[in-house]
Amino acid sequence: MASAELSNETIPVLTKTITQVKINQFESCGILDRDNIHNNPELAKQRLGTTYPIASGRMSVAFAAESLRKFFGAEVFNHTGTVNLKFLRPVKEGDTITVGGTVNSRQTVENGTLVIVDLYCENQNGDKTAVGQGTAIVS
Amino acid sequence: MAAEKLPELDYDKLQIGEELGSYEYLLTQEMLDSFRASVEDPDAAFPTIAVKHDATALAMCYEDNIGGVNAANEMEFHNPPIPGKRVKVTGRIHDKYSRRDKPYLVIEATAVDEDGRLLEKMRTYQMKKPDEVGKKWQAQS
Repeated sequence: MASAELSNETIPVLTKTITQVKINQFESCGILDRDNIHNNPELAKQRLGTTYPIASGRMSVAFAAESLRKFFGAEVFNHTGTVNLKFLRPVKEGDTITVGGTVNSRQTVENGTLVIVDLYCENQNGDKTAVGQGTAIVS
Repeated sequence: MAAEKLPELDYDKLQIGEELGSYEYLLTQEMLDSFRASVEDPDAAFPTIAVKHDATALAMCYEDNIGGVNAANEMEFHNPPIPGKRVKVTGRIHDKYSRRDKPYLVIEATAVDEDGRLLEKMRTYQMKKPDEVGKKWQAQS
């Protein structure tokens, strides 16, 4: 589990292989049961003009949350964590996404120390698909 | 009884601060298991990420025939949802703006469970001209 002493440390690097089956399963967790640009190739073609559906950016949020949870510990991250990601490139079936990050800074806050982590997601070509920050408050 | 037809989403008419109402659903173990399998994380605690609370709130208010592409997501995690308990979500339009001639819509949602525990807050930045980035992506692929 992370402590307030952390700085310039890296969070666990995770690698995820994206398949359409997993994209569809992620979309099936919704409560509206609607087709979208993630699970319907025709809708992706109509709305995006792409020949493929794209994975929801929220999948990358989940990947980043996993890495941060493993770094801070579930008791910390699941109650004080945040993930902010800006999406730069599409993620699609066949991509391999690597998620990682480095502790950027620490700030003293009311309930402890806010640890700020710079996050990245990149594909198999080394292109960044998302960047952002994650945080948690450690005691 | 036929389902009520929703008004079509008109970006120009959306109001910053507009409430998107609230809805409830039962979070099931099946949803949690499915989410964990989809992201290959057996300890994932927030299947609500995939429920997309903010986008669902918008979709319950408007028929969006244009769609959008998520430009960014912001999430706060407060307490993991518990399977078997109901989740209540409240949504609103946080902001809208134009950048590089593209319209952006920022929607947000707050989720609590049936016991009043705050679960999470999420905010999504949707770019409402999805074909513009799609053309670029298609050319790159």
